[in-house]
Amino acid sequence: MRKDRLGVRLSGRGGQGVMLAGAIFATAAMYDGRHVVETPTYGPEARLGATKVEIVLADEEIAFPAVDRADLLLCLSRDAYAKFGRAVAPGALIIVDETAVPLTADLPAGLVRLPLRATARDLGAEMVTNVVALGAICRLSEAVTASSLTAAVAEAVQGKGDLRELNARALAAGMRLGAPAA
Amino acid sequence: MDGMRLVMGNEAVALGALAAGCDFYAGYPITPASEILEGMARLLPPRGGVFLQMEDELGALAAVIGAAWGGARAMTATSGPGFSLMQEHIGYAAITQTPCVVVDVQRGGPSTGLPTLPAQGDAMQARWGTHGDRPAIVLTAASVRGAYEATIQAFTLAEAHRQPVVLLLDAVVAHMREPVDLPPPPAPSQRRPVRSPEPPFGEHPFTPFGAGRPIVVTGLSHDDEGLPRTGSARASERMLRATEARMAADPALAGLDRYRLDDAQVAIVSYGVTARVARAAIDTLRQAGLPVGGLELTVLWPFPEREVADLAARVDAILVPELNLGQMVLPVRAAVAGRCPVTSLGRADGTLFQPDEVAEAVRALPAGTAMGRDQRHA
Repeated sequence: MRKDRLGVRLSGRGGQGVMLAGAIFATAAMYDGRHVVETPTYGPEARLGATKVEIVLADEEIAFPAVDRADLLLCLSRDAYAKFGRAVAPGALIIVDETAVPLTADLPAGLVRLPLRATARDLGAEMVTNVVALGAICRLSEAVTASSLTAAVAEAVQGKGDLRELNARALAAGMRLGAPAA
Repeated sequence: MDGMRLVMGNEAVALGALAAGCDFYAGYPITPASEILEGMARLLPPRGGVFLQMEDELGALAAVIGAAWGGARAMTATSGPGFSLMQEHIGYAAITQTPCVVVDVQRGGPSTGLPTLPAQGDAMQARWGTHGDRPAIVLTAASVRGAYEATIQAFTLAEAHRQPVVLLLDAVVAHMREPVDLPPPPAPSQRRPVRSPEPPFGEHPFTPFGAGRPIVVTGLSHDDEGLPRTGSARASERMLRATEARMAADPALAGLDRYRLDDAQVAIVSYGVTARVARAAIDTLRQAGLPVGGLELTVLWPFPEREVADLAARVDAILVPELNLGQMVLPVRAAVAGRCPVTSLGRADGTLFQPDEVAEAVRALPAGTAMGRDQRHA
């Protein structure tokens, strides 16, 4: 997914690590040498509520920092999908956790339903759902390179011992989820 | 790209403060300014500086003023509700000619309002919020690098004019991350007390306590020695007038950015995050062949009257988009003084303008319509 200006919106509920995912994704884009602006938005709640972070990737300097209709949308929760699911550009890639959207016939084209949370739980920690999601996004969209994303994840957990290994595994698992079925 | 790092606006404020030699921070946490406090709590103590979380915002600015007199380069940061509580002490810092920096990261109000969402509702409070009257310096910024540079400038201006300087940001600029390459901060630099025969107030440079002479600091109208003069001496008015004149003559206070303005027939005057929306709108309108440009305020107060008056003489119309019900449009109108129509575009629902919304507002101006027609015939 390569556009002159790519609008990315990552969403979920407070506590799912969406803000951190946004910072990691934006760092990866910076490592790729692109112009990037990342803007988090959240409600007054310390936990829960629908939260989102918007990242604009561009080849030129970015004036408007927000995303109107997203080219790439991640929804980790039902609330987030209800709130942001329709604010997408034509041809958008929409990646949702399987628990966020029931499997029905009328899902929009371009929607990919993945077991992101379940994969994180299988790794022993649901808190790495955000990194699993980043891996899947990277593989499905190619909006950032795998090497930059790997470096950005490592930077985010620098000095955090065991978490390094866990997050590396989460990223790899996410990339496998996003890989085209053989 | 080697030194590039993704930095949040609030983090850039903390780093800018360190770059300016700040060694004292007192504050009280509040969204969307808390990352400034968190940054200073992390950065200052290992460098030998002082970080204090106070009981409230009144205490925060009181501590900052006291620290300045103790030799510190001192600052605080807050959002609208805390900024209201600081207004009394902003007046106290003004009359006692105490250099200090107050950051207000604006959010939707009044009161708790929309506590996590952006607004530009404090533009007038920053100028007129304290009681009495005084000249004021209020800076703003539209990017992470801009926030860093404006913070450094705030300390320089506070020192030069011996006044509290306000840096007015908004929740978007404060929370956004952009890649910037910032130099490592220098070692902290205390203000040294200097033995000087000069009086401690008035036109004389700020010298903190400790030079061996008694200094009286009082909120009463006082003379250059600091002694209360509440009779006929008009001492405080003399000081305020002199400060105002010095600000008017300071080229650092003529802060403006121009965007595609040279041949513009319609101008958008904006500041903070709204200036970025305006840029996007201008690019769209330019692509359609409409000559529109932007005047971006980086110093809100003292208001750049002459520059806006000059602009009004050259363009057919001015649009002022703001995330409030219409505040800076008032000094714009006063400076334009009827030379061209000025239209306010206000929004106070915690939502950013979309570039198309601003572009539509330009097209809807009578001059915008004429401009479009001219282009079609051209």
